[in-house]
Amino acid sequence: MASRWWRWRHGCSWKPEARSLGSGCPGRAGPSGPRAAAAAADVTRAQVSYFNLVKSLTSAFPIMYSISRFHHTTPAACCCSKTRSGERYTDPFKLGWRDLKGLYEDIRKELFISTTELKEMSEYYFDGKGKAFRPIIVVLMARACNIHHNNSRDVQASQRTIALIAEMIHTASLVHDDVIDHASSRRGKHTVNKIWGEKKAVLAGDLILSAASMALARTGNTTVISILTQVIEDLVRGEFLQLGSKENENERFAHYLEKTFKKTASLIANSCKAVSVLGCPDPVVHEIAYQYGRNVGIAFQLIDDVLDFTSCSDQMGKPTSADLKLGLATGPVLFACQQFPEMNAMIMRRFSLPGDVDRARQYVLQSDGVQQTTYLAQRYSHEAVREISKLRPSPEREALIQLSEIVLTRDK
Amino acid sequence: MSLRQLLLRLPGYFGASAPPRRLWWSPSLDTIFSVVSWRGQSSRSPAHWNQVVSEAEKIVGYPTSFMSLRCLLSDELSNIAMQVRKLVGTQHPLLTTARGLVHDSQNNLQLRGLVVLLISKAAGPSSVDASCQNYDMVSGIYSCQRSLAEITELIHTALLVHRGIVNLNELQSTDGPLKDMQFGNKIAILSGDFLLANACNGLALLQNTKVVELLASALMDLVQGVYHENSTSAKENRITDDIGISTWKEQTFLSHGALLAKSCQAAMELAKHDAEVQDMAFQYGKHMAMSHKINSDLQPFIKEKTSDSLTFNLNSAPVVLHQEFLGRDLWIKQIGEAQEKGRLDYAKLMCFSCHKGQSGHTGTFEHILNGKFYLYINLEFAQSTCR
Repeated sequence: MASRWWRWRHGCSWKPEARSLGSGCPGRAGPSGPRAAAAAADVTRAQVSYFNLVKSLTSAFPIMYSISRFHHTTPAACCCSKTRSGERYTDPFKLGWRDLKGLYEDIRKELFISTTELKEMSEYYFDGKGKAFRPIIVVLMARACNIHHNNSRDVQASQRTIALIAEMIHTASLVHDDVIDHASSRRGKHTVNKIWGEKKAVLAGDLILSAASMALARTGNTTVISILTQVIEDLVRGEFLQLGSKENENERFAHYLEKTFKKTASLIANSCKAVSVLGCPDPVVHEIAYQYGRNVGIAFQLIDDVLDFTSCSDQMGKPTSADLKLGLATGPVLFACQQFPEMNAMIMRRFSLPGDVDRARQYVLQSDGVQQTTYLAQRYSHEAVREISKLRPSPEREALIQLSEIVLTRDK
Repeated sequence: MSLRQLLLRLPGYFGASAPPRRLWWSPSLDTIFSVVSWRGQSSRSPAHWNQVVSEAEKIVGYPTSFMSLRCLLSDELSNIAMQVRKLVGTQHPLLTTARGLVHDSQNNLQLRGLVVLLISKAAGPSSVDASCQNYDMVSGIYSCQRSLAEITELIHTALLVHRGIVNLNELQSTDGPLKDMQFGNKIAILSGDFLLANACNGLALLQNTKVVELLASALMDLVQGVYHENSTSAKENRITDDIGISTWKEQTFLSHGALLAKSCQAAMELAKHDAEVQDMAFQYGKHMAMSHKINSDLQPFIKEKTSDSLTFNLNSAPVVLHQEFLGRDLWIKQIGEAQEKGRLDYAKLMCFSCHKGQSGHTGTFEHILNGKFYLYINLEFAQSTCR
């Protein structure tokens, strides 16, 4: 964890203030406490109309306390954590991958068809180089729920299949999104549409989706099928939400959060719910899993939107300011617009005039848009931790807690 | 002329044996036959086709047109119709697809849904498994079967829309501004995905995992079929594929047969019919769709040559048969002979395929015949099993 912190310091240009409350960072712990708390309270008051989708914590001070608590992630600073079990700290990715060995081979088996080129296109992103973030969350959640229910240390085959399905649905939507956005690179390589053309790329996406549906049908559980088909609909609706726009500022933010939920969080939330349904009959647990996934998903996307402004393109694997270039007004932009009302016109015309993209970027970097979006992401992340902490302690539960923090601190 | 008389005459016209005897007719079976027989009588007027379709629609209880469009037109959030309107004046294929969907033409695109409904009614409730007795039934068809018919149409329309995507790097200046094509692609992808999402949701509501699996595999087949079509049409039909008729059959099964076949099977599954009936329904759907395709392939060859602008797909059934008969080299030579200044003279090419050996033309007629008789036989089995 310490090495990661060093990377923040020496890596890209900007880091939010709150991140530097790590144990190794000098001079940030005590004095900034009250100031940041006051800022948090201000933000809360000003943004309360925007935050109606977030279950807010009741006062600002516990927020500050919990931020410092959860950023003490090195083993030495474990003292304040009551929820942590006595087990040694492990990397959640390593923990999750134990169950996901052969994930990509199994996905390729689902895509086994006779047409060579189509198969090649469909397998293109299942090369093992993606983050596999969603499958990891799914298997960790599966274990956490199984342990909570009856201390079972197994993962059911159908639960593992959900991990596959989640990754396939995600990839299918990526393939289509790249065609819609005329993207030319992703994950450090050319997109499917750039290499094979748009017509075939769309069919490849359809193929992956149909393979995912077949795998879903084979789980044999109609509840799970209903849960995951909801995701497919949400993904499309999210794209449509992105097509449209709202004139009213307040509506814009709610619109943005709804789109964020549908496009990103719905898949994670519903996959978590699906594995919990398979592992445990208690509806309370299903709701916990769903809320965890939802909050982590939204936090994930918010940080993604921040990174679009703050990181450099080598690290991300895809070009930055991508959202602005597509005419999308994300979190940082919406917050910046409060300080610089002249951005309103640019937002309404979707940054279509020459020079709009650069000007908007400048405004955002000058304002506290990035900071506020990060703060919002933190709140979602803490909410996720609060939910998952209701489950019985286990290494996987701890891993999920860590993951929701990693979501905030990643740099690509 | 009544349907039965028509059926008695039909085989005689083609020089084949009499149709099989039947124990009992149901009106829906009649209509199925009429739909089938119309396929062979391509000289039948559009009015007759419309008559057949309206009879069928009466049997199933409501007009089946616009089945798959309801969700597109009523959904506020998506408002796809509004987006498609922005494409008016451009040359994006989506506009043509949209027009074709709304215009009630001879190529009735709602065929699949109608067939699924008819076969559901023809098969009736299962005599073996009585667990469906509590299901909702209107005009002899369960509501889940109606839902399935709609899902079938949704899947078909979705892929129809996705077929209309344009490769941006192949655009010519005559295609219009790049921006229009990009926007058209975007709307086409989203509309298709929206239809597929609705289909998936509908499938989930049926609460039957076997049906979900069937339709998902049908979708997979359909995607592969469309992929093959695209691969050939990408070369603008100038050069034909080196395929024989059996490969053609496989590819056409994927692109046309699979969806209808598996939907019919799924409709039987919903009514809890046994494996034999399901298989019969599958065969029926498959051959129905195949003969439909063969029939449309035949059209340019048997219509009276009144139009000057005659073109046909160089990968259609008659041409493939012709190529198989002649051998690839000779066929390529013929294409070369028919080309003038880089443009293909289709009329000349047609003379080649029709006269030299008569192979293409009659071969395809035989296939239609075989298709139809397979249909008759299967239906008889299906019907006798149900009763």
